[in-house]
Amino acid sequence: MRKKEKERLAPYQRPTFSGRIFDIINIVLMIVFSFCMLYPFWNQLVLSFNEGTDALNGGLYFWPRVWTLSNYTYMFENSHLGTGAIISVARVVVGTATTIFCSGLLAYVTTVHGFSGRRFMRVIYLITMYFSGGMIPTYLLMVNLGLLNTFTVYWLPGLFSAYYMMLIASYIYSLPESLMESARIHGAGEMRIYFQIILPLCVPVLAAIGIMAAVGHWNSWFDVMIYNPAGDWDTLQVYLRKILLEADQPAKLQNAQQLQEAMRKLTTSSVRAATTMIVTLPIICVYPFFQKYFISGMTIGAVKG
Amino acid sequence: MSKQTASVQQSSGFPRGKFLRTLKRERSLWAISAIALVWVAIFAYGPMYGLLYSFFDYRPGLNLWDCQFVGLKYFREFFLLPDFGKILRNTLVISGLNLTLGFIAPIVFALFLNEIHNTKFKRTVQTLSYMPYFVSWVVVASIMNTLLSSNGTINELLMAIGLIDQPISYLNEPSLFWWIQIIASIWKNVGWSAIIYISAISGVDGELYQAGAVDGLGRFGMAWHITIPGILPTIVLLFILGVGNLLNTGYEYQLLVGTPMTRDVYEVIDTYVYRYGIQMGRYPFATAVGLLKSVIGFALVLISNFAARKVTGMSIL
Repeated sequence: MRKKEKERLAPYQRPTFSGRIFDIINIVLMIVFSFCMLYPFWNQLVLSFNEGTDALNGGLYFWPRVWTLSNYTYMFENSHLGTGAIISVARVVVGTATTIFCSGLLAYVTTVHGFSGRRFMRVIYLITMYFSGGMIPTYLLMVNLGLLNTFTVYWLPGLFSAYYMMLIASYIYSLPESLMESARIHGAGEMRIYFQIILPLCVPVLAAIGIMAAVGHWNSWFDVMIYNPAGDWDTLQVYLRKILLEADQPAKLQNAQQLQEAMRKLTTSSVRAATTMIVTLPIICVYPFFQKYFISGMTIGAVKG
Repeated sequence: MSKQTASVQQSSGFPRGKFLRTLKRERSLWAISAIALVWVAIFAYGPMYGLLYSFFDYRPGLNLWDCQFVGLKYFREFFLLPDFGKILRNTLVISGLNLTLGFIAPIVFALFLNEIHNTKFKRTVQTLSYMPYFVSWVVVASIMNTLLSSNGTINELLMAIGLIDQPISYLNEPSLFWWIQIIASIWKNVGWSAIIYISAISGVDGELYQAGAVDGLGRFGMAWHITIPGILPTIVLLFILGVGNLLNTGYEYQLLVGTPMTRDVYEVIDTYVYRYGIQMGRYPFATAVGLLKSVIGFALVLISNFAARKVTGMSIL
């Protein structure tokens, strides 16, 4: 008992004066650090709920001065933001579901004992982790396949992934081999083994991958921009980018202001703040739930290199 | 064991009947493999074949072999470009900052976080630390535009404490571009990059700390003589990966935050490829630039890997 007590308070844990000072400084540092991580989001939120013309006076830090919802209503009424949201969600759902389905099957194929093509498939895919054609050849491939200005370009190029294959395969290896052996002895086909035995056991790794893929799809904007130049399939991120960068945005806003009294007090930056929050909120809302899966996914990847 | 069976099947010279029997037995597995092979041939190996465009006067819609072979013309053109020195400088400066400040920040954060003993507080801080990693660069760029605008919080704060007299237009200031980029990049990535160090620190043998305490080490001494050597393999490994990525500065930040006024300091190889390839349609030239970048990048990985093996006995390849 006594020994245990002593171990618990090893000398380096025993509070010394300088140690206490350091602890206090460290805690203050960490609070400041957390504030820096959080405040930029909060600032946008405040701005998005404040009247645009009033915000120009500055001094908005922690709470809106003149409350309004018009920044949000403008975005939903006067732009096609709603369509963008639907396309974003569709991309996340279709892209994530197809990549999990296909990469999962591929991973299973590379783990079946005695399958003659197992090593071959694995190597073919591992090569793609180290070598790629780069931006322009990939772009030209999409052009030549006629995938420009389609929805297909969002999910088809990400159907199989060598990285996801590695993660799922290493998880399947950790399952007891006897499960599959006994199923095989009882005459189950490979597909049945995968869908009825392996898949239910792989839920943790598939959840981690699903979340990685979903966040990636939600956040991507560059491929939307280059593969959908016509703008028919613009996602939310691209709407935000347009407000951020395109020069005709103030003019559009002015048109709306002339038509509607309620829009008089909007500014580009207040509208942009509202859009930023619309784009960010889904991530922040699901964040507390998915972050632990994300971490587990990352550590699997780290161990297997 | 199963590996042996597989190799026996293969080395038996493929008697026709046996081959067909194997194929029949494994038909569902080969069906999946066939789909995966078609996909990988088109979407992964297709672009690799497309690298050949850089040696031809390629125009979209034409068959590659109908185009004129020009050899290394486009590679040479890139080196002779008046902008070449500037692009190389920007690329090296931006990734140099990422590989020094951006590399050290997560290690320092992990070490400081490790000294927090209240588990709940520690986890809260860590959870908040990697939140910015999950939002897109578009969102970060928008937030930066707000915070750094002339009536934004940063300008007002600096004016309130008297550091500056009038608002600065940060994002249009070429001399500040690199520094703002590294700060934004650290803000977005520090928590995420720290995860791997935090898990490495928790893997350090606890008995070492007790032995250290017996030898009279203080907390700083523990961190310096036990924790840091304990996570050194991780640090070296990630540094190697970083050196291999030296030319991959990315393009998202530059394309979203760069303005015409900062073009001289933000144009890097990746944005250059985008501008010449996709915006101007000079496909062979942009492909050549991209290929050159990849080849040099691969050489860098090999060199840094070799160096790491010499110095520490560890490597990734």
